[in-house]
Amino acid sequence: MTRDAEQATDEELVAAVLGGDRERFGELIERYQGRLVNYLFRLLRNADDAHDMAQEVFVKVYQVLDRYDPQYRFSTWLFRVAQNAAIDQIRRRRLKVVSLQQEDGLGESHDWELPSGDRGPYGQLRNRERGDAIQQAIDALPWEYRELILLRHMAELAYEEIARLKEMPLGTVKNKLFRGRQMLKEKLRDFITD
Amino acid sequence: MRMNKPDHDTFRDWLYLEADGELPPERRPRLAEHVASCPECQAEGRELARMAEVFARERLPVRDDFRTGVLAALPATGWEARHPRAWRLPVAVFVLLAALAFALPWMAASGRPADASLVGVGAAVLGLVRAAAAAGLGLLGASWKSMGLVVAELFASRLVLGVFAVLVVSLDLLLLALLRARRAAAPDVARRQEARGGSSGSPPGPSSGSR
Repeated sequence: MTRDAEQATDEELVAAVLGGDRERFGELIERYQGRLVNYLFRLLRNADDAHDMAQEVFVKVYQVLDRYDPQYRFSTWLFRVAQNAAIDQIRRRRLKVVSLQQEDGLGESHDWELPSGDRGPYGQLRNRERGDAIQQAIDALPWEYRELILLRHMAELAYEEIARLKEMPLGTVKNKLFRGRQMLKEKLRDFITD
Repeated sequence: MRMNKPDHDTFRDWLYLEADGELPPERRPRLAEHVASCPECQAEGRELARMAEVFARERLPVRDDFRTGVLAALPATGWEARHPRAWRLPVAVFVLLAALAFALPWMAASGRPADASLVGVGAAVLGLVRAAAAAGLGLLGASWKSMGLVVAELFASRLVLGVFAVLVVSLDLLLLALLRARRAAAPDVARRQEARGGSSGSPPGPSSGSR
């Protein structure tokens, strides 16, 4: 990778791709593949599905790249597409679902559903205990906290990007992340305390 | 807004912001000062750091061929065809040929070039291109004219127009009937699938972790 490529911003890479340099899209893939796959993995709970969907998301984004508005961050756009795609897939799955209907503090219920935690070959090779504990801790969070925790820890989005993506005030994002992380800490106490 | 003496809870909020790299730099020295004298915040800071480590260790590795797979799967898009680079070369070739088309005959007439045969060859090629372009335009015009004649013929005779209208309406009705039949069949299929799923005691659909 050249020095120029290392320093190119997302917006510059998008402009280069739109300028006909299709290969520069590979740099965007390289930059986001880890975060995107992991974000989707925690939502879909299946490594193969996460990879497949990440590919679909990149292809979808590429197809409408000319509609990208550079006043927004590319990452915000990418993860919005990813979240919508994941939610669509979760809704389509009617097999072995765990209802996550949760009531938030405002009395509104959310009928998100996730499949139960089957793991592919990837998961079997990893530290089951800790990995399962993390997944269970994440799954135990109410959706409104979980989605922000995943956007922060897996997608590695900044608070402002999360606020824009979720169309929430920045203060609400900070507050929910704070509370969500406190809940997570409680669940993962065995792994993180002295 | 300037905060003179933040309380413990505020410092704890700052601790979380710092862990995410979101704490404004001017607040860092005050947080560091507080943490140095607050065992509770020190423990909380350690927990946050460990939690980040746990998440980092549990990251799923991306397949080695992921990038190439995505690049290979990228389709040809509408915007690529519309893009300047897509028409840059054809436009450049057209401009070059047009310039030659005007320049070569003029040069040949004025007798300037040393190699007249080259000019002759160029002029002949350009003549060929012009003839081909004229032929193409002629064909296009002829096809449009033919379509115009067909439409004119259609509207000239009431009988033909009537037959044409009947044909169109019949095709529409046929299409509607096919769509209705398909829609009517769909619930039956769903009911049958549901019945099969219920009798076997397992819910329908593919397993999420089966692949």
